[in-house]
Amino acid sequence: MRVGEHREDLVWRVRLLARVAVIAVVVVASFFWFVQIVRGSYYSELADNNRLRKLPIKAPRGLIYDRQGRLLVENIPSYNLQLDRSRASLIDASIQYAAGILGRPAADLTSTLGRYKTTASYAPVLLAENLTLAQVARFGVGSLEHPEFEVEVGHLRLYRHSDQTAQVLGYLGEPSEKELAAGGVSGEMIGKKGVEARYDNELRGRNGARVVVVDSRGRLLEEKHMQPAEPGQSLTLSLDIDLQQAAERAMGDRVGAVVALDPRNGEILALVSTPSYDPNLFARRLQADEWQQILNAPNNPLQNRVLQNTYSPGSIFKIIVAIAGLSENVVTPEESVFCNGVANFYNHPYRCWKREGHGRVNLRDALRGSCDIYFYQLGQRLGIERIARYARLFGFSLPTGIDVSGEKSGLVPDPRWSLKARGTPWYPGETISVAIGQGPLLVTPVQMAAMMATVANGGVRVTPHLVKDAPVAPGESLALDGAILRTVRDALWAVVNDGGTGKEARVPGVDIAGKTSTVQVVGQKSWLDSTTLPFEQRDHAWFASFAPANDPKLVVVVFVEHGGKGSHAAAPVARAIYESFFHVRPAGEEPDVLAAVAGEVDR
Amino acid sequence: MIRGSTGPISVILPIPGLAEERRPSLRHLAAIRWGLLVAALLLCLIGLAMVHSASSELRTDFLPRQAVWVGMGIIVMVIAFSIDYHVLLGLSIPLYLVGLVGLVLIFFLGHRAGGARSWIGIGAFGGQPSEFAKLATCLLLARTVAGANRRSLSARQAISAVLVVAAPALLVAIEPDLGGAAMFVPMLVGVLLVAGVRPRILLGGALLLAVLGGALWSFGMREYQRQRVLTFLQPDRDPLGKGYQVQQGKIAVGSGGLLGKGYMQGTQSQLRFLPARHTDFIFAALAEEWGFLGVAVTLSLFGFYLWNGATIAMRARDRSGILLATGLLSLFAFHALYNTSMVVGLVPNTGIPLPFVSYGGSFMLLNFASTGLLLGVDFRRYVNR
Repeated sequence: MRVGEHREDLVWRVRLLARVAVIAVVVVASFFWFVQIVRGSYYSELADNNRLRKLPIKAPRGLIYDRQGRLLVENIPSYNLQLDRSRASLIDASIQYAAGILGRPAADLTSTLGRYKTTASYAPVLLAENLTLAQVARFGVGSLEHPEFEVEVGHLRLYRHSDQTAQVLGYLGEPSEKELAAGGVSGEMIGKKGVEARYDNELRGRNGARVVVVDSRGRLLEEKHMQPAEPGQSLTLSLDIDLQQAAERAMGDRVGAVVALDPRNGEILALVSTPSYDPNLFARRLQADEWQQILNAPNNPLQNRVLQNTYSPGSIFKIIVAIAGLSENVVTPEESVFCNGVANFYNHPYRCWKREGHGRVNLRDALRGSCDIYFYQLGQRLGIERIARYARLFGFSLPTGIDVSGEKSGLVPDPRWSLKARGTPWYPGETISVAIGQGPLLVTPVQMAAMMATVANGGVRVTPHLVKDAPVAPGESLALDGAILRTVRDALWAVVNDGGTGKEARVPGVDIAGKTSTVQVVGQKSWLDSTTLPFEQRDHAWFASFAPANDPKLVVVVFVEHGGKGSHAAAPVARAIYESFFHVRPAGEEPDVLAAVAGEVDR
Repeated sequence: MIRGSTGPISVILPIPGLAEERRPSLRHLAAIRWGLLVAALLLCLIGLAMVHSASSELRTDFLPRQAVWVGMGIIVMVIAFSIDYHVLLGLSIPLYLVGLVGLVLIFFLGHRAGGARSWIGIGAFGGQPSEFAKLATCLLLARTVAGANRRSLSARQAISAVLVVAAPALLVAIEPDLGGAAMFVPMLVGVLLVAGVRPRILLGGALLLAVLGGALWSFGMREYQRQRVLTFLQPDRDPLGKGYQVQQGKIAVGSGGLLGKGYMQGTQSQLRFLPARHTDFIFAALAEEWGFLGVAVTLSLFGFYLWNGATIAMRARDRSGILLATGLLSLFAFHALYNTSMVVGLVPNTGIPLPFVSYGGSFMLLNFASTGLLLGVDFRRYVNR
């Protein structure tokens, strides 16, 4: 044979190689076995991920009505631009293309995109909202070259009364990182404030989905199945839009807060915080400069002064001191005190706001004229512990439980608090200050309203709330003596109707009971008229009231930041609200409260 | 006995250059290694079916063209079978030179396909010179090594063998098509092993190669060239290109399961998620639609082909026959194993087609020519010379 004597060697090596090849084939086959059989379900899922796309069907958000069924918030259709980054071959080119159609700088869109760095690339990103129909058409025409863009029909929130209800309703926004972690979906607006935030779960509804088969270019081939969206629950508020608007108008340019509620059940009929903002701006998703503008606006319009700010209560606190004094039997309604404008406590002179003094005053006179000397003495007799106990009984230093988030608790000071927070013992002189609502006391306007409701309704603590059938705690009776409350209510009636400090609130034919309060912002000689001071140094003005006095149906608390005297700045606002509520035509022309001349000084 | 297939075979009978008495007679045709032919044709049928399934969604169905390539392949096979391989070995130097010229021409006339120039075309005709070069290299390699009749190869022979393979491989490598260049290596290793290279020569060669490679990496390459090599070795570095392909291929394979999604029912291929589904990744489309069952049948056919081929090599008449068959089979086996391993994600993704199955002309012709040569080697084991 030609191969020679070594043929067997060659054949042996060929056989060896052939065996190696066959083993290699078996090895490859076993890898296929592993991928196809062992890991088959995993890859099947990936294949389904490829071809099946879940298109969310957005659930329309629930509508919000006022107590008479008038629409406050509705949804209007809007066109939103979504970008599927997994389908974009060159993100920068896509951005340039979109920027050209939208007429916006590409850098804007890039920064929007930057916020979605951590979300999966196949999850569509909301790039722009509220496209015009012309823009929608242009994206439609370009969809072959740019399959990564998709126009989605969404719902846009429309707040019918814009800034008049902003502090009540709140607004929507993109979920923050914290909210995303708590189950928010990126690109899906959630309630950020007010009723929108507090009742977000109810309003949001449940999104449905269409599962469709797509090819690699994302073209929709067929629908696999569909789960319809469940619209959000609609809410009916206890708010009365007429009263809300009346309060808003009455506040005018004043900075401050108004709460009007039903003392019998805590239903809020009006809730105003000024200055306000237009929540519709947020619904459209703010541009950076618009946001800056709102942030930099004077007096912080985003602050809900009704419950997010705390203020010194001033003389209105005398109501609590009076009730405490009567309930603890340290004073009788008839007992009188002589006020000559100044009294000494702990070797310190304490002045009444009225330099010449009130003369001889009993409890009714003292409340009506807001006599400081009377309450200094009463406060001294009660002591700080008892004053603090009654203040807490009326809800101060505790959240009222109002169904709007962000509520502050305020502060009721006592010796324990002093040691803990300040590290100094309580000075007896401080008790004298607290007795007239000064000192470290801090309350929110809504706490003030809840307190007034309790005084008005005969001693039942109610929870202020905005949603008509909110799951609030039932009223809790404080077991106060009815006669004592009647005495106090009678005195408060006198404040408005019998020559007291609240006569500016008087409405003919309606028995209004109330109490004014003027809170010093800077230390000053108290008899100076603070309206001559720069705005930030002027006194805060309060007016807390209810009507009708013998069968209260409405509590109105007005707070005007740097408004000056409670009697002049706050009481007329309350009057306008009562006029609206009781359908009383204001006598003559509209009460021009700004032009009110500073008359008798009160506190 | 001849199973009625006298037609095409009779064509080959009057072959010029063969003396009347040495001419194989019809009855010898029964001795053809039918297994090899049947395996090749069955693989072609599978390929035709899959090319149709994978391209039916495209603007043109590649089935008719592939059928034409198969037809032309059969003709090439018959021709390769008809010519005595000794004649071809004798012509191997000019054939080899033609192959090299083709590879050089690429640099002037080449079309880019997938980043590398590998195609030349004149009018409607086009082809990949590297496929022809593989065949020619195989022939010259067998001839170079066949001369010796000793227990093992001399160092000189081993070095010439290396040079014969290195020249076309380097030309392909600088196209740049590193994967294509790598396809030249298995035939060298296969032939050297069978011819009996001394282990220390093989070891020395590997060592030298490593040193040269290291030197080239450190001093001879620019940064972008290094990047290319890295991308070849790790396709994940390029997730939008080859990495995506590998991932989609694996999804196609895995989601096929045991029985597959059914012919023309593969979501990965029919919905176009799988790139190169009728060419390099056709096996992934097959795995998706026919499942592990289809994979096992197809791999068995490759194994059957290789085993038949090995039998041919083992009973070949002479040393050159054994070595030629070894070279051709190494080439074939490596393509088949590399492509299937690539589809299942075992080895780096590079443009290696699956013999007889992937769509494409030049490679189809190479495999049929190679099959024809193998049948010829087998057929001539009785012929006296």
